[in-house]
Amino acid sequence: MPFSAYLDGKRKDCADLVAALSPYFAYVSVLGTDVRSTAYTVTRSSSSIRDGEGECGFVVKLHDGGAFYEYSLDDISGDKQALAQKIIEAVRVNDSLKSRAISVKALEDAPMKKDFVRETDFAGFNDADLLAQCSALKDELLGKDEKVLNAFVSLSPWEVSKLFVSRNRELSQYYGWANGFLMVVYRDGKLVRARHGEGSDSMASVIEGLKAHTDDIIELAKHLTTAKPIEPGMYDIITDSSITGLIAHEAFGHGVEMDQFVKDRALAKKFIGEYVASPITNMHDGAGATHSVASYFFDDDGVPAHDTQIIRDGILVAGLSDLGSATQLGTEPTGNGRRESYARKAYSRMTNTFFSAGKDKLEDMIASIKHGYMLFETNNGMEDPKNWQIQCTAEYGIEIVDGKLTDNYVSPVVISGSVPDLLKSISMISDGFKVIGSGHCGKGYKEWVRVADGGPNLKARVKLG
Amino acid sequence: MKTIERILKSAPGVDAYRITESATQSYELFFVHKSLETVRATDTVATSVTVYVDHDGKKGDSTFTVYRSMSEADMEKAVAAAVARARLVFNEPYALPEAGEINAELPTNMKDADMQALGAQIADAVFAADTVEGGSINACEIFLYRDTLHVINSNGVDKTQVTHRVMIEAIPTFTDDNQSVELYEDYRFTVFDPKAVTAEIARRMQEVRDRANAVRPQTPLTVNVLLRPQEIQRMIGGLARDLSYGSVYNHGNLHKIGDDLQSGGNGDKLTVTMKAITEGSERSAFFDEDGTALNDTTVLENGIVKSYHGDSRFGQYLGIEKPSGMLRCMKVAPGTLSEEKLKSAPYIECTSLSGLQMDLYADYIGGEIRLAYYYDGEKTVPVTGITMSAKLSEVLAGLNLSENVCVNGAYEGPALIMLPNVAIL
Repeated sequence: MPFSAYLDGKRKDCADLVAALSPYFAYVSVLGTDVRSTAYTVTRSSSSIRDGEGECGFVVKLHDGGAFYEYSLDDISGDKQALAQKIIEAVRVNDSLKSRAISVKALEDAPMKKDFVRETDFAGFNDADLLAQCSALKDELLGKDEKVLNAFVSLSPWEVSKLFVSRNRELSQYYGWANGFLMVVYRDGKLVRARHGEGSDSMASVIEGLKAHTDDIIELAKHLTTAKPIEPGMYDIITDSSITGLIAHEAFGHGVEMDQFVKDRALAKKFIGEYVASPITNMHDGAGATHSVASYFFDDDGVPAHDTQIIRDGILVAGLSDLGSATQLGTEPTGNGRRESYARKAYSRMTNTFFSAGKDKLEDMIASIKHGYMLFETNNGMEDPKNWQIQCTAEYGIEIVDGKLTDNYVSPVVISGSVPDLLKSISMISDGFKVIGSGHCGKGYKEWVRVADGGPNLKARVKLG
Repeated sequence: MKTIERILKSAPGVDAYRITESATQSYELFFVHKSLETVRATDTVATSVTVYVDHDGKKGDSTFTVYRSMSEADMEKAVAAAVARARLVFNEPYALPEAGEINAELPTNMKDADMQALGAQIADAVFAADTVEGGSINACEIFLYRDTLHVINSNGVDKTQVTHRVMIEAIPTFTDDNQSVELYEDYRFTVFDPKAVTAEIARRMQEVRDRANAVRPQTPLTVNVLLRPQEIQRMIGGLARDLSYGSVYNHGNLHKIGDDLQSGGNGDKLTVTMKAITEGSERSAFFDEDGTALNDTTVLENGIVKSYHGDSRFGQYLGIEKPSGMLRCMKVAPGTLSEEKLKSAPYIECTSLSGLQMDLYADYIGGEIRLAYYYDGEKTVPVTGITMSAKLSEVLAGLNLSENVCVNGAYEGPALIMLPNVAIL
């Protein structure tokens, strides 16, 4: 059984700690995490094998109708009564703040007992296999063109075990995800970098995906050496799935994280039931909405995964919530309570966020543009849920002239402007669909979690700079 | 740490090792409006072990994490696995940091404070600024940390640094009949001064009121852009990252020693020094995570690349006699112009960008401006909803730096930098 043997052995400790704290709090839960990751990396002149983003520990959540309390620790062995008293003392509040605590009904704790497992093929690859795959890909990239100054190849399996125990729930889950990454540093007059990423719960698929793209990134690097800055202005654009996902994530996803509703930080709170996008637009988020890096079975509050439709036919219909926010708002939690690690707070967070496919053909979309750009590959983005401004950066764009893609590359390309203007300008949506599971998302400038986003190609009109 | 060190000392195949233990105790307060929503406390230890194996004329290494939950048998297995992994890794040889002892603490006035009481005092200092009519602090998160970093290695390095630090994330908001707008505030310190906290939040409360009154100027226009310390740090930090030993070794750097980053211009020349310590900054360090002693290093002098900086291993690969170690603070030499002179011609002074975008390879600098002050030669008005965009090489050549300096987090240097002739859309 792939679920962590360590956590499996801690079920009784968790239950005993819940029991020890129950006389003091109406709601008590313990989340145990055992996450392991290894990063295999090879470059022209170095290599490494090291632990990646791992964690192993516990977070205790307490509620008594006022503020929520949490305590994070590495181990819960030993005397549970003594530990309970230590926790109560650690989360004590200074007298001057006691009267300022929120008042909210007790957190939901409906009975549920289940163990979830999604198998991976990671056990079929040992250290030597994976490092050798990286080396072979590196050699292949370096051998393709003498202008390749360096090649970086990485493979990274990530395995997650989590155990959630409360008075009425005992849930466990195991799942995994693998990411692969290629990058070349290329000089032909101008120095550029070209990248390609793959993600899957099958390491074999990741490796095959990387192998299939070695020619592509060399070609991309060649084009990027000719890329020019874009002339700032308003343009018709077509997005690849990566930029579609970036728009879904930054333009709207952050704005419907419902902990922001509690804080009156999201304009979306006032627009439920209103048109916020063109009527052909549909958007989803959820660990259960598609299969990618954020496809867990239950969230860090012990709430089962959902498929939440955020936008239906252009109308904002729902937001994303963690248990605490939903309880304060009087809504049902949507399984979006996520922590950076057991040492951090749970917030309302996106999981797999995407626009639904439409009916248009990509070639028809390109043909419909007199002058514009097709934009590719997420670089980064920044949300502004209160004021609905966005900034998204694409690695590069290709100019479209008279309905045809040209060889004119621009890089980088920054999309900025008003969210409603962008979403309402969506005029065509392709019938293709791809969700990319290789991203990390922060809340503000911290609280990093793994996310996926994507969807079809979109045609829209935006400000580029 | 003692158990894993004992195992490492007797484990077959281990030629050298490094153990980095990072212990964190925290107390955290989360406010929604003025109400206390969540209280958190943490007590965690992360232990990272690197095993080095010399083989086939090369050096292999592998790093793993020791969790407090691991048994001694688990640790023995992890060490054996790391030895096997290190044998698969073929890197050029390099030396580990030599023996040395440090037991240091960053200056602070929070060392003996009760965390619960201190948390309440900090909250009081934040909310004391919530006095602007129509304004509010819609959310505030206060994190009090006590970090202990302890690095040992098989050469006899035994170094400890204790850091007491606070991070405040606050969301100043202004609401009137027409709209509600907000700004983002991230304020960090190692010495608690309640008046300074209140003053910083109050400054942002005034600015968010200005955002509510901000207009979108007639665009496109071309104008000088003034950046404040947070953005200056990001801009100069981007130039400095390109000059790391690792970037050079991996053929990823754009600029080389002797290159003039500001050729052809007549602005102020940049002199940038990467530093170990900046007073009041949580990023200050007495040693890096390898245990390497740190040496302040001037990477740019009068606009010309003078030296590289960074991780000891890559420094050794480049033949650097005394690598700098990982330096996380920065000092920029002051410029020649007074603030009055910098502001004598039309300008846009950015106070809130969604994120300064800079791409050395694409010769680009830009970003979405959430709040700025636009002086058109006659009057100054708050502006929003605009984007700046420029060629990085052109603004570097013509930039000017203020003569007055400030300390902001890990940055010490001019309070203002002026980028000439930036396109505003």
